[in-house]
Amino acid sequence: MPQPPDFTTTLDVQLVASSQAGDMIAFEELVARHRDKIYARAFSMMRNEEDAIDLSQEAWVKAWQRLKQFQGDSSFATWMTRIVINLCLDQLRRQKRTRAESIEQLDEELGGVERQMPVVASNPAEGLERAELRKRIDKAMTQLSYEHRTVLILHEFEEMEYKQIAKVMNCSIGTVMSRLFYARRRLASLLQSLKKEQQS
Amino acid sequence: MNTELKLQALLDGALDAREIREIETILAQDIQSAALMQELKWMKAAVAGNEAEVKLPETREFYWSKIERGIAAEAKKAAAAPAERAWWLRFIYPATGLAAMVAVMFVVSGGRTTDGADTESVPEDVNAISFRSEAEAMSVVYVADENGTFNPVGQETKNEPEADK
Repeated sequence: MPQPPDFTTTLDVQLVASSQAGDMIAFEELVARHRDKIYARAFSMMRNEEDAIDLSQEAWVKAWQRLKQFQGDSSFATWMTRIVINLCLDQLRRQKRTRAESIEQLDEELGGVERQMPVVASNPAEGLERAELRKRIDKAMTQLSYEHRTVLILHEFEEMEYKQIAKVMNCSIGTVMSRLFYARRRLASLLQSLKKEQQS
Repeated sequence: MNTELKLQALLDGALDAREIREIETILAQDIQSAALMQELKWMKAAVAGNEAEVKLPETREFYWSKIERGIAAEAKKAAAAPAERAWWLRFIYPATGLAAMVAVMFVVSGGRTTDGADTESVPEDVNAISFRSEAEAMSVVYVADENGTFNPVGQETKNEPEADK
């Protein structure tokens, strides 16, 4: 029985080149290497395990079809992440169209709410263990609308500039800045509340 | 851009030198802006590098099996697409040819009058009609009176050589 190829020392670029030539075993290795990251990005945006699995798998299928378009301008992981982000945004837009918005969400969309929030006077992250801070940030993120959550994810975790986010989200740079500002202010307020809950 | 968004842009390194000087002056003078800037800095520092760690809740083989099926399904779809196109292309080419032929015939027949043929136009909703005879080189216009009876109001002959007049 033939042994499966050992890709331990094979670089992503080599696997991409083999995949572009039609080698599906090499592509499966790329999937195995990056599946957690791609799934995690889908989950952070969708906040739903089932949707995240489906969309991340769809992203891999799309990646296989578009592999010839990958020129290596960015890393393969970055390129894959962009694909899954676009798929998640499409899905979130579709979901939003079919879902009635709450008054709170509409207020968020119209803006200005962040100006009414009092400034947090002490650092709500101070003295927290990293694991606890991550947990609280994750919990607070679930309470943001998908637009605010996505802007925060793209800027802070994907390290994208305002201009790039505007392009991906199909909105103006001003909207990106405003959403990011709101997301940060709301996050501060939520973390402050969690800290108070813990202390009382 | 308002001051609050400029504070954020300063934090994110998105301001030019002139704007940085401008916003730093505001920060030095306005306590509220300085407090807001501090809050934004805390949040940026708290979030950076602190994304929750999420692991795919499926095995490598199970996860890949669906991707593999998806790739196969897309390949099948792509292979079927030319056949589907061919189905309607079989009809579109003869239909286009036929339409072109009809158009040419229409233009040819409309642009040239058969030699000697007479033409008459009688629309229902007008009270004037014309008659033209190519053979006689003559045009007559009839105008209806109040009873709806058509009477000729003039006739004209054309294209006769000067010598024949």
